[in-house]
Amino acid sequence: MYSFLHHDFLEGNTMVSHNHTNTTVRPKGLSDKKKTALAGYLFISPFFLLFAVFGAFPMLFSFYLAFQKWNGFGEMTFVGFKNFSLIFTDPLFWKSIYNTLVIGLLGTGPQLVAALILAVALNSAIVKFKSVFRVAYFVPNVTSIVAVAIVFTVLFSEQEAGLVNATLGLFGISPVSWQTSEWGAKIAIATMIFWRWVGYNSIIFLAGLQSIPKDLYEAAEIDGAKKWQQFLFITVPMLKPIIVFVVFTATIGSLQIFAEPLIFGSGFREESMTIVLYLWREAFSNNAFGTASATAVSLFLLIIVFTTINFFASNRLDKSGK
Amino acid sequence: MKKRALMLLLVFVFMFATACSNQSQSGNDSKENSSSEKVKLNMWVFGSTGYEKLAEEYMKDHPNVEIKIQSKQFEDHHNALFTALSAGSGAPDIAMIEVNNIERYREAQDRFYNLYDFGAKDIKDQYLDWKWRIGESADGSFLFGLPTDIGPTAMFYRADVFEAAGLPTDPAEVAKLISDWNAYAQVAATIKEKTGKPIADNIELVYNALRDQAPVQYFNEKEELLIEKEPYIKQAYDYTVGLIQKGYLGSNGLWTPEWGNAMEKGNYATLLAPAWMQGVVKGNAPNSAGKWLITNMPGGAGNWGGSYLTIPKESKHPKEAYEFIQWLVAPEQQLKSFKDMGLFPSTPSVYDAPEFKDYKDEYFGGVNTAQVFAEAAQKVKTVYMGKNYTVVQSEILKALTNVQKKKADPEKEWKEAIKRIKRQLERQ
Repeated sequence: MYSFLHHDFLEGNTMVSHNHTNTTVRPKGLSDKKKTALAGYLFISPFFLLFAVFGAFPMLFSFYLAFQKWNGFGEMTFVGFKNFSLIFTDPLFWKSIYNTLVIGLLGTGPQLVAALILAVALNSAIVKFKSVFRVAYFVPNVTSIVAVAIVFTVLFSEQEAGLVNATLGLFGISPVSWQTSEWGAKIAIATMIFWRWVGYNSIIFLAGLQSIPKDLYEAAEIDGAKKWQQFLFITVPMLKPIIVFVVFTATIGSLQIFAEPLIFGSGFREESMTIVLYLWREAFSNNAFGTASATAVSLFLLIIVFTTINFFASNRLDKSGK
Repeated sequence: MKKRALMLLLVFVFMFATACSNQSQSGNDSKENSSSEKVKLNMWVFGSTGYEKLAEEYMKDHPNVEIKIQSKQFEDHHNALFTALSAGSGAPDIAMIEVNNIERYREAQDRFYNLYDFGAKDIKDQYLDWKWRIGESADGSFLFGLPTDIGPTAMFYRADVFEAAGLPTDPAEVAKLISDWNAYAQVAATIKEKTGKPIADNIELVYNALRDQAPVQYFNEKEELLIEKEPYIKQAYDYTVGLIQKGYLGSNGLWTPEWGNAMEKGNYATLLAPAWMQGVVKGNAPNSAGKWLITNMPGGAGNWGGSYLTIPKESKHPKEAYEFIQWLVAPEQQLKSFKDMGLFPSTPSVYDAPEFKDYKDEYFGGVNTAQVFAEAAQKVKTVYMGKNYTVVQSEILKALTNVQKKKADPEKEWKEAIKRIKRQLERQ
């Protein structure tokens, strides 16, 4: 491919030299610099073309759709901010935001702590078969969400004989309606998220742990620091950039929880309605693409707000550390 | 040089375009072939219809037609079709649409050929009236699709549970015993008392059965919400609530493993279900042959499922497509589909065929189930469903679930459901 391009440029050059007999100075071809640049752009163009069609266009189009009324067929009609007023006056919309935040907190908070502990355990010299554990931790993350959700639906069955309910029964706890009760649904979905992401995050933490120089620990040991002191005063501060990264991605990810509640909570029930599920119901179940897009735009703004909070919080953390 | 660069760019764009154009390939094919002799028809169906075999038969008699059938899963099929029709590109020449899904296209008449333009009026009399009506536009001037199969409902019941409760088990006697919904509630009380088992496994099918027997359902032809003005749906709701509160209904969700399990174990007495549920029962309860029997449902019958064959406007050969589907859903072919795949015919003339008259299913205790469902098919009410049917349906079921699972106040739940329904209808 490269030689082919190169040949082109040479040919182009000869054309330019022919034209030099003219008194006009302006060369007809491109300068070498521009050619190299052009070649570069061509090489990266596939990504940008694909992104333009499948990424940028749908995104921009949903901003446009947010101000239209459209059922997927026929004419769109401009309705101004009506879509926004429709969703903002819908208690279910606010409920879905609340649910998303609660499920996000339940699913990611304990999960990040567990991931860090797992990573430290994996990093310590005591554990054998490290690579086996690493793979085992990562497997849930590459499992199809749909399969996971179906299996968890069976585990968290509402019936007394469901595995979770039966286990709780051993401890004398009466069966929980996992799909229809306010906290049951949230805990079940959060558990799914925990299971799917804890391994992924612990692998990232592990990478961070391995980049911490050993001599810090050695020095601490000589100074008589205990293991937990080493963890609190060396590991955690040194891991700060990794923790910030993980918290960032987990926040954005948990705002977009969708497949788990779709499959788990039967029939768009309000206990498990998340904001993306709300959006999806509007578009693909109710054919109201206008309000669906308005929800998407609202979610976009919400994510910006959360990322900004994260950003400033981590910046301050950085400064206070110095 | 500029030209060369442009050429290169074009090559890229071309490669990119061809990579993406697999989907629209079908459209191009038929375009190219319009001049040549052979007409290619692409057909999308879902599930197992057995239409491939029939299409081959048709092609033998019509060598100028080539039919390519693509079968997908229910959800995938309808989503793909919606996207293709919405985008105005990539739809097949013939598309099968399930009865609930056809409501989504009420406002998309311009995406389909009006089958009345091809003379569909002439064959109207061969089909069940209620089935035909759903395939029409609200004013009856436009025909979206020709009817394929239907899902008339009847009452499946566990003879062993009835026997344990000291009730008759013979289909005719059971039908007499449970002749209306009051009797159904009384039997529910008896069975609960004697065996401790619920009369039905979940709320949904009982409610649906009542809903289907209402003279009007959720909307009228003007797409106005009727459930507050007309008493029928509220009555169905109240009746279901009554059974829930007395503990006569189980709480297994449809299609869950527990639901399937309960079928084999006989944990409940009746299942109000369509003809195609026979296969599901056999699959879930292979060891219960002779225990499940089928008889008439109290108060009439309903319909669940069944499809239509439509011709999207993108088709270049609507005439050939129409000729094929008219043949495919004609009584003779529907009888073949019934024999091969169990698709229940929407053409009543078939019900008098010897295959129907002499039908016997040993699994269901040797009952002529075909006859039971044929009778049910002729009792189904002609109703207008409306394009927002599923919105109302899912909110009412949500309210009933809350009454059952959360012991919620039924009146409050009903009002909340109506509020939620109206909120969603505003957006349409």
